[in-house]
Amino acid sequence: MSSQVLLFSALFAIAVGFFLLSCYLRFSLVTIGKPDNRFNELGQRFSNMLLYAFGQKRVVTRSYLFGLNHAVFFWCFLILLIANTEFLLHGLFPASVSLSLLPDILYFTLTFIFDIVSFFALVAVLIALGRRLFVPPKYIDARTYDAFVILGLVATLMLAFFTLHGSEIALGEERAALYMPVSAFMGNFILARLPGGTLTALVTAAWWVHAVALLGFLDYLPYSKHMHILTSIPNCFFKSLEKVNTQPREEFHKGSAYGVGRVDQFRWKDLFDSFSCTECGRCNDNCPATRSGKSLNPRLVIHNIKENLLHNGRQIGKGLEPALPLIGTCREGCVTETDLWECTTCGACMEVCPVFIEHVPKIVGMRRNLVEMKSTFPGEVQSLFENMENRSNPWGIIPAERGKWVTETDVPPFEKNQTECLFYVGCTGAFDTRNKRNTLALTNIFNNAGISWGVLGKEEKCCGDSLRRLGNEYVFEQMAKENAALFQDLGVKKIVTQCPHCYNTLKNDYRQFGLNLDVSHYSEFILDLIKAGKIKLKASAGLGRVVYHDSCYLGRYNGVYDQPRELIKLSSGHTPLEMERHRQRSFCCGAGGGHMWMEENADTRINMERVRQALQQKPDTICVCCPYCVTMIEDGLTDLKVTDNIAVLDLSEVIQRALV
Amino acid sequence: MLIVTCIKQVPDTTQVKIDPETGTLIREGVPSIINPFDAHALEESLRLKEKYGFRVLALSMGPPSTEMTLRKALAVGADDAILLSDRAFGGADTLATSMVLAEAIRKISAQEEVALVICGKQTIDGDTAQVGPGIATRLGYSQLTSVDRVDEIDMRRKRITVRCKFEGRYEILESSLPAMVAVLREINRPRYPTVPLRIISQEAELKVWDNRSMQLSEDKIGLKGSATAVRRIFSPDREKGQILAGDEVNDPDQAARRLIEVLVSKNLISVQ
Amino acid sequence: MEEKKRIKKPLGVARLLEGKCIFCGARCQSACPKDCVEMTEQGEPIIDITCCIGCKKCVKICPSQAIEMYFTPEQQRLLDEIARHGAPAAEEEAGQEEVINSASDSGYRGVWVFVEQINGEPAAVSWELLGVGRHLSWQLKVDLCAVVIGEKVQHLCSESFAYGADKVYIVDEPVFRFYRTQPYFVALCNLVNKYKPEILLIGATGVGRDLAGALATCLNTGLTADCTGLGVDEKRRLLMQTRPAFGGNIMATIVTEKNWPQMATVRPHTMHIHEKDPSRSGEIIRERQYIAEDDIATKIIEIIERTQEGSVDIAGADFIVSGGRGMQSADNFRILQELADELGGVVACSRCVVDAGWMPAERQVGQTGKTVRPKIYIAAGISGAIQHLVGMQNSDIIIAINRDKHAPIFEVAHYGLVGDLFKIIPSLTRQLKALRANGKT
Repeated sequence: MSSQVLLFSALFAIAVGFFLLSCYLRFSLVTIGKPDNRFNELGQRFSNMLLYAFGQKRVVTRSYLFGLNHAVFFWCFLILLIANTEFLLHGLFPASVSLSLLPDILYFTLTFIFDIVSFFALVAVLIALGRRLFVPPKYIDARTYDAFVILGLVATLMLAFFTLHGSEIALGEERAALYMPVSAFMGNFILARLPGGTLTALVTAAWWVHAVALLGFLDYLPYSKHMHILTSIPNCFFKSLEKVNTQPREEFHKGSAYGVGRVDQFRWKDLFDSFSCTECGRCNDNCPATRSGKSLNPRLVIHNIKENLLHNGRQIGKGLEPALPLIGTCREGCVTETDLWECTTCGACMEVCPVFIEHVPKIVGMRRNLVEMKSTFPGEVQSLFENMENRSNPWGIIPAERGKWVTETDVPPFEKNQTECLFYVGCTGAFDTRNKRNTLALTNIFNNAGISWGVLGKEEKCCGDSLRRLGNEYVFEQMAKENAALFQDLGVKKIVTQCPHCYNTLKNDYRQFGLNLDVSHYSEFILDLIKAGKIKLKASAGLGRVVYHDSCYLGRYNGVYDQPRELIKLSSGHTPLEMERHRQRSFCCGAGGGHMWMEENADTRINMERVRQALQQKPDTICVCCPYCVTMIEDGLTDLKVTDNIAVLDLSEVIQRALV
Repeated sequence: MLIVTCIKQVPDTTQVKIDPETGTLIREGVPSIINPFDAHALEESLRLKEKYGFRVLALSMGPPSTEMTLRKALAVGADDAILLSDRAFGGADTLATSMVLAEAIRKISAQEEVALVICGKQTIDGDTAQVGPGIATRLGYSQLTSVDRVDEIDMRRKRITVRCKFEGRYEILESSLPAMVAVLREINRPRYPTVPLRIISQEAELKVWDNRSMQLSEDKIGLKGSATAVRRIFSPDREKGQILAGDEVNDPDQAARRLIEVLVSKNLISVQ
Repeated sequence: MEEKKRIKKPLGVARLLEGKCIFCGARCQSACPKDCVEMTEQGEPIIDITCCIGCKKCVKICPSQAIEMYFTPEQQRLLDEIARHGAPAAEEEAGQEEVINSASDSGYRGVWVFVEQINGEPAAVSWELLGVGRHLSWQLKVDLCAVVIGEKVQHLCSESFAYGADKVYIVDEPVFRFYRTQPYFVALCNLVNKYKPEILLIGATGVGRDLAGALATCLNTGLTADCTGLGVDEKRRLLMQTRPAFGGNIMATIVTEKNWPQMATVRPHTMHIHEKDPSRSGEIIRERQYIAEDDIATKIIEIIERTQEGSVDIAGADFIVSGGRGMQSADNFRILQELADELGGVVACSRCVVDAGWMPAERQVGQTGKTVRPKIYIAAGISGAIQHLVGMQNSDIIIAINRDKHAPIFEVAHYGLVGDLFKIIPSLTRQLKALRANGKT
């Protein structure tokens, strides 16, 4: 055995040992998390992994053209994984493992592929470097030390690869020279003039540089954001099979802790998420809070969870108290309370995350800890909590007044065993003067359709959406149970809602409480009625240019994008205009996640930002589909002093105008 | 050392309305709540507990269902709760109520020294503001009402300094312990209960004292011990929203005059 | 024959009339001699008719006439028959007569008014009490007496006469320089025990309510708080005390039947002041009280005048003038401040005003601001979004001034003025000023 092999074997053993130890030390931390079953429906999971990890489906999108560069990296990496495995094995067992032992046809094909792929990788590295140096994206710290180390290592690897093979070709020792265009170019044009001795030395040098860079890369990985190379594929495998449109229930046992106040109170998948973050910055690029100048940055939330885990994980594993608080203020490794309260739970971060990190449940989990264990939250939220608990509406209005709007029009009450469909009006629709107009419009439409429908009137209770998003799970659970009992008692099977928040809560959250109802938002419901011929619309003029704003809880949370657009088209005769941010990338109005009841003091208001985006389309009408959006967009227009000629209409009002 | 916080469970009066057509009370589903003033009293007790290390005992007289309200007191951090409940206590006015509460406090103080009795200034159903002074007078405690700030308690000298808010002025008063302090709503913001305490409070055992354990003369408590009686209940003659100026009156001076006339005629403002 | 009928006369059973109970606090249960009444969790009675003996005690005690006697059709027929035969039912009234007699024989006579003062400066409510007290004393044909306690308060005697008092009891000693519960209630308690007035009125101010509560307990008598109306039942010499209950949603008339004096605190601004007559005079009775300063536990450290400037507490204000987006600029809030000053109130605002930077956040009323319950809330240029309404809807009186007559604020307002607030508000201030200037002279 030559001394080179011995030396390499030793180096290899140390490097791989170190790598495995690093991986063990890091990944074992994940096991301190709480259980979460992510091993069901394996077929579905494998197909997700193929589509999103190997297919890079969320990486390459129109908004992120550089994602293409990443796809190149990814595929180059996979292919070169074979080449480098061969490289390492060959280094260990020069005599018995080598590509060159393969039959020519196979050997030539592989060397050709590796050569070309290495070139692509080098180009991708250069593009990435150039982008970081000259056109860095605004939404991320592109010029990090970490990124340059990795790009440098990859570039070194590729250059060493070409130098190694180029030198060999120049020496005439490579029988596949004809099939290695880039290496051959290197050998024949750049290195050709070097003397043989130098070339031989260069082969050795390049081989060692390659070897050291490769092992260095391996050892560096677990300590960098490039850990995602190891975790993102499994993270796509473990991704939630359903849309993340709800948060898990809590069990209220005496003596336990509620919510997430320590990093081990996350579920293991949450911790794994933190290791999977590629720090690509797409979440904060789409976050309404980040974009409107708040301190919340979803990427940093995930990063800080990871840092906290790394800092505290071992101690917690030994049963000791964590040294660093999870929620608090520190330089790195903590999430501040302010950050947590700034989230509108709009889900934009989760929608764009290429590796399916679930930000919102983590944020809500930490909010739960603040609310349930520490009773700390923005002051204005307390009256909301008390009003919801005592009077089942956010304002604390007398519950009996919930049925007052019913007396203003012709509304059938829901009758057990007789009424087919319950119209769940919701708090805003029942109490708020502006949004009562939508309720009345819907009443009109339903009456027009001649269907069997009814309302609960003053018996209706709030669904509790804001409480759940704000982390007051304890009271939410009480309300959910009350509602579940009420619906079961009345034999309610089919519900249509006005508010997307009620819709999501009844449809998705309440399933956890044993309620499997046929819940539809009115936009789905009415479109079905039109298709069934029960409602006829006549495209009416007078709306001018209509721009449509997607509500987060309708669109992103439940995938209802087409129905409202179709209804606007049927009602106005025209396809609605689209804002730059629409459908999956729609921008929150600023009221979700309990923010309807909170003050927004820092920097720009989210609703004003959204209105500015709408104004770019020069609309005459801004059509929305959610009572919160109605209020926020109207307020935004008033604050920007452009109320005069732009109408904010709920879709129900638009449809009502077109009723035949 | 103990702080006794007196709490009353009241119907949520903001939900009691008069039906404008029939003139009868609409009070369907009116829930019982902790008297809002008492919630502030409780909060102040808890803050003083945190600052000076008192124990806080929530005391209430009422029907058995008052238990729910006392559990809420435990859920925000009261250490103990006693419910005074007996048929003989029912139908009491403030005179008879303060009798039962004061005797209960006397009984409590035989076991543990009472430093303070903290009450809400008044209840929202009765608005009398008399029970606190009643307790103080019966027990001979210092009486400090309309308190909007507790400045200091000197445990060694057994003195308390508070700020009282009267019409047009504040008074900083110092008095001796034990004292009865009746607080205004401005004094603090009641805390929100944590879930662990809520769960513990659900299972906590409440002490219930009836008149067998209190041994009070039936002439002094409940209906018999009450000096006042309600003769008649009627709805206030408050008109529903009235437009004083609008299409027919658009002279601003005339509009203003009409408003002032109405306010003066209803004794809402005085022009003297 | 007649004897037989009387025995047969059905008494019926007590029955609750639906929707009339006001949860007064289990009076019916306490009144029932047979323990037939159970209370629901809400506080409504459930009457066990199987054990009801038809004594009517619960019916009589119920303040809201929520309990009636129920007769089966058969019993009703019997009753009708008795009525047709003209059988007298006089014995029922006997109980009440007894009470009347004892009321008249109590030996307590005269109407007293406590004259509240700070530093010799009388509280206006004292003269209001003399105003109403004078009517009461006329009806009862007794003297109206003022009670003045303080230090160097001699001048209040003549003022008391001028406002209608026939007699003044005065305690003028250094220990009474500032109001403190203990010396004042002891002094007053001694006076009452000595002279035995049948009615004692005190202003429902902070001081008045502090004093009255202690005094009533020490005198072991009834006290009705914060009355807005007073009258007398001349026959039984009862003070009919009317006051709002249930947060002002209902009015209750309350009497103190068996204890004396009948005490009431009276809400300021609800009674008319009699025209001042400086020529009136009367008897002054000087009383000495021997209370040593050292025996008084409470010491006054400091008295601080509450001025309009500094931190304004809108949550505790009685009068609030509130502005919204319709105010158009920060400068315009000046006119609201002028009106607020005239009313002795404070200026508040809606959220958008804070957003615009016209007012500080501590003045914001509404969902995310403060909840206020003033006696009068004037909303100027506030449209009345639900977020704002929930912060002020429990105000006693809401006055809305807005240009848009469809503004939702008019739905909750007791009085609405549709018009230009920039004209109406200054006019209100001007006219109030003028009226008060006239009133003073």
